[in-house]
Amino acid sequence: MALVPTLRRLLPLLLVGLLVTACNRGGEASAKPSVALVVKTLNNQFFIDMEAGAKAAADSLGIELLVQAPEREIDVERQMQIVENLIQRKVGVILLVPNGSREIVPAVVKANAAKIPVVAVDTRVDAATLSAAGATVASFIGSDNEDGGRLAGAFLVERLNGRATVAVLEGVPGHETADARLRGFRAALARASGMQIVASQPANMERDLAFNVTQNILQAHPGITALFACNDVMALGALEAIFAAGKGAQVSVVGFDAQDDARKAIAEKRMAATIAQNPREMGRLAVLTAARLMKGETVPAEQPVAISLIK
Amino acid sequence: MTSRAALKRILSGREAGTALGLLVLCVGLWIATPYFATTANLANVAEQSAVVGVIAIGMTFVILTGGIDLSVGSLVALAGVVIGGSLRSGLPVTVAVSLGLLTGAAAGMLNGLMITLGKLPPFIATLGMMSVARGGALMLSDGRPISGFPDSLRAVATGNLLGVPAPVVLMLVLYAVAYVILTRTVAGRYVYAIGGNEEATKLAGVRVRFHKTVVYAISGLSAAVCATLLVARLNSAQPIAGMGYELDAIAAVVIGGTSLLGGTGSVIGTLIGALIMSVLRNGLNLLGVSSYLQQVAIGAVIIVAVLIDMALRRRVQRPSR
Repeated sequence: MALVPTLRRLLPLLLVGLLVTACNRGGEASAKPSVALVVKTLNNQFFIDMEAGAKAAADSLGIELLVQAPEREIDVERQMQIVENLIQRKVGVILLVPNGSREIVPAVVKANAAKIPVVAVDTRVDAATLSAAGATVASFIGSDNEDGGRLAGAFLVERLNGRATVAVLEGVPGHETADARLRGFRAALARASGMQIVASQPANMERDLAFNVTQNILQAHPGITALFACNDVMALGALEAIFAAGKGAQVSVVGFDAQDDARKAIAEKRMAATIAQNPREMGRLAVLTAARLMKGETVPAEQPVAISLIK
Repeated sequence: MTSRAALKRILSGREAGTALGLLVLCVGLWIATPYFATTANLANVAEQSAVVGVIAIGMTFVILTGGIDLSVGSLVALAGVVIGGSLRSGLPVTVAVSLGLLTGAAAGMLNGLMITLGKLPPFIATLGMMSVARGGALMLSDGRPISGFPDSLRAVATGNLLGVPAPVVLMLVLYAVAYVILTRTVAGRYVYAIGGNEEATKLAGVRVRFHKTVVYAISGLSAAVCATLLVARLNSAQPIAGMGYELDAIAAVVIGGTSLLGGTGSVIGTLIGALIMSVLRNGLNLLGVSSYLQQVAIGAVIIVAVLIDMALRRRVQRPSR
């Protein structure tokens, strides 16, 4: 059997392994404190910026920062597995941008049981589900997304003199962040009777999906004059579809997040506006909060990060 | 066969290469990080492997017949939403779960009928079902997750038997059942026979269409079992759940040494394949490897595992079963 010689060849390797393990463990005990940042996905500039802010803060504080994310923004189960694994890794604090505000609660319960504080960043963990499960989140760091949505809506009302045919690209249905932006946007539009939302469809925060959905919306409603997307990734996808249809001058596109590509599109007058959050500041504040928690200090339950409109 | 003889057969069989791969991976991680080889972490990894591990059982049956089932990820969502919706409308847990399992099995059977009676290639039939089931899940749930379920359902994910997490117990029981069916029953041998030579099997008087339909129903059913697990774990039924799970399941089966051409392979190999995927993901998280590099690593392991398996098999020169 080929198995026996293979095993024999592996034996020295195993022995070396044992030795290294023995040495390695002694070394790990004195390693610097580690903090985990679990974001929704790293296919989005917003979270890459957040990572950069967090890394800079961690480096200056001498904290080891582990940044992990599922491949897909919609994959709650995978994010839960990552959190479970990081609990086993015995990190000091878990900074978490939940992919599902309710669905992530069982993972928070596990972190609580392991006495690892959880800080929610950018997206809240659902308060009702959290208290029903008897779990706690040490702090929330993020912008008021509803306020941002209201800002975007008010901007469109003013720019189009209160009269427009509006299309909306929603995020992943049931996700708190995008839902809050949507609530704010709709509330702002409800104040102007001439603003009519003719289409509102989910494009899951993805660029290619937003392109396709916008193409379809343009088929059904060729006369739209404004489009609000719950993030810039979708806004940029929509922009491609709108310009491909030759309607670039007709439709005012507003996004959310103020990503570099969106800022560029605004500077080139292709896109109307975006709402700037400050993901770098969120990342920085999150790591500072983690450092305070590891020292045993108490931290504020809510730590707002400012938002602004960029046009 | 005695249990010792069975053990010997497993060790000398085609699963040996895969098992060796798992062993090497575990030893490597044990060396690289002190957090890997702890009881808590190993229980954690086993629990995580149950999600894809359960779907991979049905996928093994399908691939053994030379077919493929791309619809399982969507069926996870559909069955999950059926369970969640039933619970929300006030049905008891047992009824809700039964309805979910029935939905999965029925959708799987429909796949089987499209393939056997409709003569559609499995790739096409299940690709269609993938979209239909996803759309159905979104329609039933209005596109929104359904959450907040009774503790009796949550126990499927949070309970344990003598310290072993409930999902792991469930997975192992299902693998044992699948192992017995495939190796100790006539129907199980037909599954191999169909994959080996469908025409000859048909000429030998086996009701090939019936058996193939049942195989796809089993695949749908195992997707529904996975849905139950997932709903219990997240305390939420999501219409977008399970995306990409079909590929993870296929990867587990293939890493486990089952041929995509059908006729050769085993569920034991698939179990080891599913464990390899979970151990790898867990280890990469523990080591803090960048999320981008993780995807590269997982793809590379799938390729290397199959390469090693094929090389070992060529050396052993075993006739195919």
